[in-house]
Amino acid sequence: MSRGNVILAALLWAIIAFFVLYPLSILVLESFKISGTDNWGLNNYVEFFRDTYYLKTFGNTLLLSTLLLLTTTIFGVPLAYILARYRHRGKTVFTALILLPIVLPAFAGVFAFIIFFGKYGTLNLLLMDIGIIEEPVNFIYGLHGLVFIQALHMLPFIVLGLSAGFTNIDPSFEEAAEVEGASGFRRFFTITLPLCTPSYLAGAVLVFLWPFTDWLTPLILGQVDFLPSVSYINISYHFTDVHRKYMGIVATVVSAVVCISLFLLARWWVEKRKYTGLSKGTTSEGRVVEPSPFVRLGAYVFMAFIAVLVLLIPIVLGLSAFSRRWVFEPFPTYWTLENFRLILLESPGLVKNSFLFSGIALLFGIAFGLPAAYLIVRTRVPGKDALDFVITLMLAFPGIAVGVSYLLAFWQGIPLATHWIIMPLALFARRLPYFLRMAHSSYLQLDPSLEEASEVSGAGKIRTFFSISLPLLLKGVLVGVVMFFIMAFQEISTAIFLYRGGWETLPIGIYLNWHRGMEFGIAAAMAFLMIVITFILLMIISRIGGGVLKAAWGAGEN
Amino acid sequence: MRRGILMTSMIAVLAIALLFIPVFSPVVKAADKIGWVGPVYKELSASLTKGFKAHYKKTYGKDVDITFVRPGGWPVCLDKVRAWGGKPDADIFLGAGAPAHEVLRQEGLIVPYKPEGWQKVPADWHGMKVKDKDDYWTCFAPWIVTNLYNEKVLKKLRLPPPKTWHDLLNPIYRGNIVHTLPYASGTMHETIEILMQAFGEEEAWRYLRLLAAQLARFSTGSTDTTQLVARGEVPIGVAQPQMNAMAARKDGFPVRDLLPEKTILVPEAVALLKGAPNEATGKIFLDWLFSPDGQKYVLEGRYFAASDDVKFDAWEKEGVEMATHAKKALGANSFWELEVEFIEYDLDLATKRWDEVNKKYEYEIYRKWGELKSSLFLIEEVEGEVAAAKDQKMDVAKADGKIKEARRLFEIDGDYAAARLAASKARALLVAP
Repeated sequence: MSRGNVILAALLWAIIAFFVLYPLSILVLESFKISGTDNWGLNNYVEFFRDTYYLKTFGNTLLLSTLLLLTTTIFGVPLAYILARYRHRGKTVFTALILLPIVLPAFAGVFAFIIFFGKYGTLNLLLMDIGIIEEPVNFIYGLHGLVFIQALHMLPFIVLGLSAGFTNIDPSFEEAAEVEGASGFRRFFTITLPLCTPSYLAGAVLVFLWPFTDWLTPLILGQVDFLPSVSYINISYHFTDVHRKYMGIVATVVSAVVCISLFLLARWWVEKRKYTGLSKGTTSEGRVVEPSPFVRLGAYVFMAFIAVLVLLIPIVLGLSAFSRRWVFEPFPTYWTLENFRLILLESPGLVKNSFLFSGIALLFGIAFGLPAAYLIVRTRVPGKDALDFVITLMLAFPGIAVGVSYLLAFWQGIPLATHWIIMPLALFARRLPYFLRMAHSSYLQLDPSLEEASEVSGAGKIRTFFSISLPLLLKGVLVGVVMFFIMAFQEISTAIFLYRGGWETLPIGIYLNWHRGMEFGIAAAMAFLMIVITFILLMIISRIGGGVLKAAWGAGEN
Repeated sequence: MRRGILMTSMIAVLAIALLFIPVFSPVVKAADKIGWVGPVYKELSASLTKGFKAHYKKTYGKDVDITFVRPGGWPVCLDKVRAWGGKPDADIFLGAGAPAHEVLRQEGLIVPYKPEGWQKVPADWHGMKVKDKDDYWTCFAPWIVTNLYNEKVLKKLRLPPPKTWHDLLNPIYRGNIVHTLPYASGTMHETIEILMQAFGEEEAWRYLRLLAAQLARFSTGSTDTTQLVARGEVPIGVAQPQMNAMAARKDGFPVRDLLPEKTILVPEAVALLKGAPNEATGKIFLDWLFSPDGQKYVLEGRYFAASDDVKFDAWEKEGVEMATHAKKALGANSFWELEVEFIEYDLDLATKRWDEVNKKYEYEIYRKWGELKSSLFLIEEVEGEVAAAKDQKMDVAKADGKIKEARRLFEIDGDYAAARLAASKARALLVAP
């Protein structure tokens, strides 16, 4: 263990302490303050769990989480099975489409579905024109709509984990089961599915936690009684009612605690049990079956159904981006480029801010992620596992908690929040794990002997890094770079608490234009622009060869 | 091949990096600054920004940097200024009606300033204050509290537009009305205040409880209401600034406003914040805002101009696009020519109970919305049963008394659980008197 490594570790820990641990501890401390006095105590928490309104909110969130998990599982398990096991045409296209929502901003989906499934949206109007229904059907306003929109957004997490699981299972287990006489459903439920528990759980936890993070979807649908929306309203609508602010913070802390506990529970569950086989009998493709024509048709219909729903998002947003006054018409009738002129020429600040903040966050991410990955993979510095752990934990942390804690920690005392640099810093902290996981897994794949050879030949550690490791890591790192950028680019939950006049990013612009004015055409155009940018970045990723899945979930998991 | 791809992506990344370079280069030309905070809509802030920048350039030969923050509706903006605690992050409080400005004044957060052109704003109109006699705040864009409906959707649903406050309680509109919360929107706050001052407190809260049961949902702010009505998602919107209908119609939405029988003028006003970092520029802005040039930009920003020498048809000839729409929307040649009648409005009382009213609505109605609805619906059911029993000449005296008690508990006391219980008892009394 060299001194350099220890210094590096200390430096990285200092960064984590300042940008993650310090603000979060302020958040927790603040939740114990009693308004109107200088005292501290559990009063806010006691009130939270006694107040019927907050309890109802908490219950609603749990209910939504459960329904969301059920829905994504019911749709996700067959989908993952089809994608992983059946041999069929168009596999790549379907996989890409079904996984697309992972990189689309969550709010883009909400807007598109309101336009399409709203009371006087395209679908209702078409159905009324044909004469199937007399009065518009309420497709999305309510719990059912919330579950539908969130489920489509989170479905990829289940499919991603499970299809990797289905592919990686040693075929001999299933063959053994078949020999013993268990076939079809019985084999699937007793052998295949249980073996996939770890990969399922990884996605399921993120799905279950989503309602504790997503404040915007319920707000737009007019369903406010969920924890994150209530925290948002308590904190950003009431600046001087200190008690309310504290209650909002309590709601945030409670969500964060639920998220982290579940995350840890799932991790512990997976580690406790052994899921691996002894032999390494899998092929790269895994076990592939040739379905009967009937099953094959069903599979196609099912995949196409989900793919169409996903495709609706860019199509509907595209239609409204290039039109104005699209109301009471199933399809727009007035086409214009006006929306884009307004975004790009009249207020280019939003686009500029988005690129600037995500770009700087990305620089921070690289400057932090590369050394951190090196430290975690290549050295034996004490505390490196803890470092890895803390960073991974950020995956489970609600964005609202990061935003609020930054606002509390960097307003007085350390007044970083008065400068725009707070925006990229917060984005960096929020998206911390994305670049690191990617750099981490590339490091794992890099044979240390190459670096050793360089050092034996007399090159120093730093020179070795730049002339040997970095070029070899480049592919993985680039994927991480783009993925980090995409995730920072669409971040809103944290940024909404920190932005001030002139610091608005595209997602904030979308939110403001949608809900404060008649400008949903502009909001749609902004969302469409984001989708196009994301799509270009995705093309770069797939060109580099990392694959969306790897970047999003870290290939190091397998 | 691989290498080519790598190079391409490297170049792409570099190209993105190049985009940032101009941002890092220092800004040489120092511009004057001004900050606005307030609840005015985006169209107005955009129009005023454009107009004031041009004016500043022409008069002083310099650029002016304008920042505008709109954290939310009036109550949210007011709270933001309070939170700054005398060290404001802006110079001008732009927008919001009299009660918000009165609260700011009482808390010592604004200072008096009499802008040029101040005398062209009437001091009061039909009994409503339009500017402060001590010059703390002055109205720059007057409007009236209205309701909004989507004519296309109402026609489709075969519903007549609701004319009065009590029309809104008609069961035919159930599920077709939307409004927001008073803490999110000043217009909603003013609506509650109107009801309280026009009908008396008890009747107002009774009305609000019954209206809440008619709602499809609560919106997140008054612009959210406009948006929902314009797109037809919910056809009737309660508590809307008068000019929202004009703005929506200009954008091509089939929206009309309704002046309810009891309403007030809202003098959308402007004030100079105490401790403003750019006070001098702030005063220049206020002087400009009340000049004919400034007032034109107010109208182009889709608010009605406040100067009493404004004539829409004269402006129409000068090419002010919104003048045509304003004339059509108001049916008059100037806002002050409108024939209206307002309630007697006690501004001091409204100022005093500002926070209290917002809180009461939130805790007694909004947070118990589900309970409120189920309670009322049960009462209505049992009332129907009692009426049916009466028709069958059954003895309903006891049940009738009990169900009347239930309604009283619901409407007057707002005790939804007790009302439900009473309704259940009435139902039991019907079967076994």
